[in-house]
Amino acid sequence: MTPIQRFAAYGRGEAIDRLPCVPIVGNTAARVIGVKVSEFRGNGRVIADAQIAAYRRFGYDVIRVFTDLYTQAEAMGARVHYPEDETAYLEAPAIESASQIDTLRPADPHKDGNLPHHLEAMERTVQAVGHEAVVTGALTGPFTTASFLLGTETLVRLTLKDPAAVHRLCELALENGLAYAEAILDAGCTPSVTDPMCSSTVISPRQFAEFGLPYLKRLIGYIAGRGRAVTLHICGKTRAIWNAMADTGAACLSIDNAADLSEAKVTVGHRVRLMGNVPPSEIMLQGTPSDVRLAVRHAVLQAHDNPNGYVVASGCSLPVETPFANIDAMLDAVREIGWPVRAEVLA
Amino acid sequence: MSDQPESLFRSLSDAVVGMDEDGTRSLSTNAVERGLDAYTAIDKGLVDGMSRAGALFESEEYFIPELLLCADAMYAGLEVLRPHIKRDTASQRQRVVIGVVEGDTHDIGKNLVKIMLDASGFEVIDLGRDVPAQRFVDEAAARGADVIALSTLMTTTMDAMAEVVRLLKDAGLRERVRVVVGGGPISQNFSDRIGADGYSASAPGAVKLVKQLTGRAA
Repeated sequence: MTPIQRFAAYGRGEAIDRLPCVPIVGNTAARVIGVKVSEFRGNGRVIADAQIAAYRRFGYDVIRVFTDLYTQAEAMGARVHYPEDETAYLEAPAIESASQIDTLRPADPHKDGNLPHHLEAMERTVQAVGHEAVVTGALTGPFTTASFLLGTETLVRLTLKDPAAVHRLCELALENGLAYAEAILDAGCTPSVTDPMCSSTVISPRQFAEFGLPYLKRLIGYIAGRGRAVTLHICGKTRAIWNAMADTGAACLSIDNAADLSEAKVTVGHRVRLMGNVPPSEIMLQGTPSDVRLAVRHAVLQAHDNPNGYVVASGCSLPVETPFANIDAMLDAVREIGWPVRAEVLA
Repeated sequence: MSDQPESLFRSLSDAVVGMDEDGTRSLSTNAVERGLDAYTAIDKGLVDGMSRAGALFESEEYFIPELLLCADAMYAGLEVLRPHIKRDTASQRQRVVIGVVEGDTHDIGKNLVKIMLDASGFEVIDLGRDVPAQRFVDEAAARGADVIALSTLMTTTMDAMAEVVRLLKDAGLRERVRVVVGGGPISQNFSDRIGADGYSASAPGAVKLVKQLTGRAA
């Protein structure tokens, strides 16, 4: 089955060959075609070549065009540092204080920063393999983009001291996100939303309800309105906000390894599909193929009977140097388990 | 406000937990004006408040925003009270060199640990973020530090932690300086593998760990 056939059959409750499986490959794709991570900067063709090659090499079900979380904030003025061969990181936010919020403008996704190159990568990937695989484009959530625009510590202090300023900034970040989402959809791709700063590891569930949820609802509502099923990933602890995450209109929640899949199934599995949560660092990067196998079996055992379906996945994007053997082991383990899943064999 | 010192200390503690920076500052000034012992005001007021805030953080009633505002209040009070600490109570604090390892600029986790160590009476030497391995060792040697605390959120920079442990051995300081590690991709297994002395998943946990390792376990 192709990934698209597999998802379609799984969604209809028909027979499939194995559960869908998504080791979330980002910059690891550079290793597949032997380029440095920094070569992705400003080069949609190389990003696409790497993502297509990685998909063909490993045979997973969802391609996610992703290099780092900063592309939207960068296009609005944040400074990003690009190490030669590692994932980029935020060097400096776009502004230093709330008084400068009104100087910011939403980016033009076809002109500003690296956004046009990412859009090109998405288009090329869809053209090459979009008929068989699900191709998604990474879209950073408004609250997280706001944190990159103003600096996380400044932003989270303002959530308590000047909530109105935070809303103004989130509104701008949302406008920016909506324009980029539209461009991603026009490229034939499905935006996949990540909003790590909404994690309960950072802000309270109450603050998520105030500063995360309303903006995610509008962003995901727009994408869903264009007929696409959205996956929402929030890193770290999320147990207290699972229902709110489902309220965003997301069809699938991607669960970090800091949270528990069986609990997610019980709490919110009747509303959304789940994916996750094989530990990306401890297992996928540092473990052996047999560690990966065990972790996959454990995750499948927890979530295979989720009412709205389950996708075997890493708990977050894979570290760049994740051994290929471990990614292969994840797919192998899912093939071995097969479908329907026989829990008594796994236990 | 009551005239009892204990009552003022309690108000100080409450002001820190209540994220009241101005209140903490004026209560601290009040303590100084009344000639109360500054060290006791810090310990029973500011530090007590910050440790209550840490407990609320651990029980998930407080989150990072609340903890940062409590810390702002604590530091406002410290600024007023510290110059008034008598020398004999000020000199024996254990030293921790802390920083985010080279290649990473995510420093909220490091800042939380620093705040909680500060509040627990350690002298914290903060090297900031994106810090080369050798600098941790050089600073620890120069300042006679008891502990090096390393943080990262990125898997790409985890190896820099192992490098610090190696360099510390090369410098002949491994026996004297404890190394603790933390951050998103770090685990107890990783800590064991690189030969660090301990790992903690949370800022309050990191303080307990450092206390244990320096023989100050409560």
